[in-house]
Amino acid sequence: MPLFGKSQKGPAEVVKALKEAVNALEKGDKKAEKAQEDVSKNLVLIKNMLYGTSESEPQTDIIVAQLAQELYNSNLLLLLVQNLNRIDFEGKKDVAQVFNNILRRQIGTRSPTVEYICTKSEILYTLMSGYEHQEIALNCGTMLRECARYEALAKIMLYSEDFYNFFRYVEVSTFDIASDAFSTFKELLTRHKLLCADFLETNYDKVFNHYQRLLNSENYVTRRQSLKLLGELLLDRHNFTVMTRYISNPDNLKLMMNMLKERSRNIQFEAFHVFKVFVANPNKPKPILDILLRNQDKLVEFLMKFHTDRAEDEQFNDEKAYLIRQIKELKPLPGH
Amino acid sequence: MIMLTSDEANNKKHVVVDVKSNTLRRRKTGVYKMDSSDKDQAFQNNSFLSTLAIGKRKISEELVPPGSHGIFRPKPQHQDYSSSTLGGYARAATNSIGTSIGNLGNILSRKMAASTSQPSVPWPNSKDDYELGKVIGVGATAVVHGAYCKPRNEKCAIKRINLEKWNTSMDELLKEIQAMSSCNHENVVTYYTSFVVREELWLVLKLLEGGSLLDIIKHKMRASNCKHGVFDEATIATVLREVLKGLEYFHSNGQIHRDIKAGNILLGEDGTVQIADFGVSAWLATGRDLSREKVRHTFVGTPCWMAPEVMEQDHGYDFKADIWSFGITAIEMATGTAPYHKYPPMKVLMLTLQNDPPNLDTGAEEKDQYKAYGKTFRKMITDCLQKEAAKRPTAADLLKHPFFKKAKDKKYLQQTLVAIGPSLETRVQKASKRQPGASGRLHRKETGEWVWSSEDEDGGDGSSESDTDSKPMNTLVSAGSSGSDHESSESDPPPVNLVLRMRNAKRELNDIRFEFAVGKDSAEGIASELVGAGLVDGKDITAITQNLQKLIEKRHSLKVVTFQLQSGVASNETPDDKALIGFAQISITD
Repeated sequence: MPLFGKSQKGPAEVVKALKEAVNALEKGDKKAEKAQEDVSKNLVLIKNMLYGTSESEPQTDIIVAQLAQELYNSNLLLLLVQNLNRIDFEGKKDVAQVFNNILRRQIGTRSPTVEYICTKSEILYTLMSGYEHQEIALNCGTMLRECARYEALAKIMLYSEDFYNFFRYVEVSTFDIASDAFSTFKELLTRHKLLCADFLETNYDKVFNHYQRLLNSENYVTRRQSLKLLGELLLDRHNFTVMTRYISNPDNLKLMMNMLKERSRNIQFEAFHVFKVFVANPNKPKPILDILLRNQDKLVEFLMKFHTDRAEDEQFNDEKAYLIRQIKELKPLPGH
Repeated sequence: MIMLTSDEANNKKHVVVDVKSNTLRRRKTGVYKMDSSDKDQAFQNNSFLSTLAIGKRKISEELVPPGSHGIFRPKPQHQDYSSSTLGGYARAATNSIGTSIGNLGNILSRKMAASTSQPSVPWPNSKDDYELGKVIGVGATAVVHGAYCKPRNEKCAIKRINLEKWNTSMDELLKEIQAMSSCNHENVVTYYTSFVVREELWLVLKLLEGGSLLDIIKHKMRASNCKHGVFDEATIATVLREVLKGLEYFHSNGQIHRDIKAGNILLGEDGTVQIADFGVSAWLATGRDLSREKVRHTFVGTPCWMAPEVMEQDHGYDFKADIWSFGITAIEMATGTAPYHKYPPMKVLMLTLQNDPPNLDTGAEEKDQYKAYGKTFRKMITDCLQKEAAKRPTAADLLKHPFFKKAKDKKYLQQTLVAIGPSLETRVQKASKRQPGASGRLHRKETGEWVWSSEDEDGGDGSSESDTDSKPMNTLVSAGSSGSDHESSESDPPPVNLVLRMRNAKRELNDIRFEFAVGKDSAEGIASELVGAGLVDGKDITAITQNLQKLIEKRHSLKVVTFQLQSGVASNETPDDKALIGFAQISITD
């Protein structure tokens, strides 16, 4: 294949050529078309070094190490991410593949790219803001989720002010973007247990104020997804402190009781898994106990009829039976 | 203080019977394809019912042979994630891959893709910007409409997926859409946008008005004698070359389609060919991985088109699985069916694994039946259908195969396929008929198809929306829908239209609509079909037979019968003939 003759260029040359092309593309002058072509071509070359092709194996570790070093030194990763919207459709996907591959690279137990990005957190902020732009949102999402796998990078994202933009991204009208943002959001809040627990505790009020909006969203998918995630967060033992705080607030209980009655069976079901935590709590604060007592009979009656067709779901039925028993046995606090 | 209303009745809603076919498909969002002409909207191919998926799910034990009536059961809200009864077949597959992701050749195609930047209005994400047209396709949890986008002044297709019925995780759905939106190729279905409308997800897609290749095959086989072959080699080569281009792109993108077949190949009026239905498409970890997922716990596809290694699941499978399906599709285009289409799924698995690979003559009834097809074509099929996946050519290799020298252009397909195919109008003619006031209905067509449809469940929104004649529908076809010899001739009296109203296993009221052709159908036959379809308890067969018989006999004076059921009531219910608890009702609707 004559075309492959050109691929003998070394990492330094390819990176240099790509950087020049991206710079030209950024300027957007009359050479833009040529630049576009060069960007695509060189991205493919880099991708082939990393992944190989049907005709050739990936390059040796030494070449890949050189390539990575060139990418760091040239600041090309940031440049690519910043100009992602200018790169053509296939090129965007190539950027994500190259980025993720380089990110995963390890030397012994070290992840040099992770260390590099820690010093260049602008890359992460740029990727996060990618959700603002339809044409690059999913590519950015792919890269962000790869980043979120590393605790150090997840921490930067969680503790940045930009994190709160996710509450907006997960609700955008384009479904694929909203759901992609949601998977990243979920990854950030669940992947590294101790980090997440710590983050949620420290920022409890701010996070749950924002979270409340998701639970009340007009968008069915947002409501369903965020309720499901809430259940997962509260039931994770690492988040015990957060859970205790959440189930002490009567407003939260009211919200869940209302969601138990939603039209959607899926939402009812997810609400059940949050509601049960309020009831199962052995040390119910008075306001919570009061609400449950006020609705004691109705709740029992309601739960008896609740999703009776899930006969095959043993755990659900056990939990439901337990809740019914608990509510039946509720008594006002002594001395009141 | 908040109050929980005690009469909050989960049972009140007319929830739709959703259907699990005799085998479970992992996440069927429905086919996005045109339906065929004169059989009402329905899955025309038995293969839908025999579509197998054995993932984390349990597969049902009954594998119904074609010719018997389908088994329809309400879909359980909560799927069983326990082990598969098909054990060996469901073993997890590992990806054993090391294949190219793109090469320099792609630069040319990508350039073309990049130049399609849209100067006009972007596709809007608001329901009000679209006018829904007729239903053009139906699946288990989705319905596809022809539609019109007002701000863009452009036609499109809208696939409406009912998310309440979507039992698989939302992530699966997202993967399907991401698979679509990461494709930009003229031979892969074009995705525009997606948004949420109440409990539905709307996917806006390019409208391909020619329908699926399967529709056209079926139509041609009805309209003319296709004993010696459905299409000529030039037509086959032209279509398949386009499919290959799509597949090549798909594979270079790191994706396997996993369900290539005529039913998933769509045609535009201009002769455009596109691969559709990403319902089962998978991301493959290529090279050092795209998705990180090293093990694939899935078993999807349609047995007749499925490669041996996909069935075995021993060594994992790769892009080459699509090449096998492509070979089967080539046979399908020549003979009109997949080679083992006559057999039930389990038998297909065995035949595929044990026998030599099928060829054009495998399904032939007579010697030399398909002699019109030449050596080159046969060789191409043989290449694709090699049991050893590694020996099969790639899509890129196949494009260089001499057979594809016979390929012509789009215009040629316009003449040979689009022009002869069923028109969109005829395909959808019956699709949008709707009985006002019916909560959901199941029609039994004379050909043995069951068609279920339902209305929107929202009781709180009683206003007549403009799209009321196009509510989500679920369609089923019984496995033996081949009874076209059974069709009524013009001299027959019109069939009696009936509705059986009763509660299902979840105690929700359902209307099951069916026709009774006097002199042809028997009450007993219909009743046993209802039982066979899982819609009626076996204990009630006698009661339904007797009362249906009575109603048919006295149909000129009697319009409704209400009767007690043998299957009894749930422990917390008391029989009530008004509320139809422990009772059912059959009435004549015309």
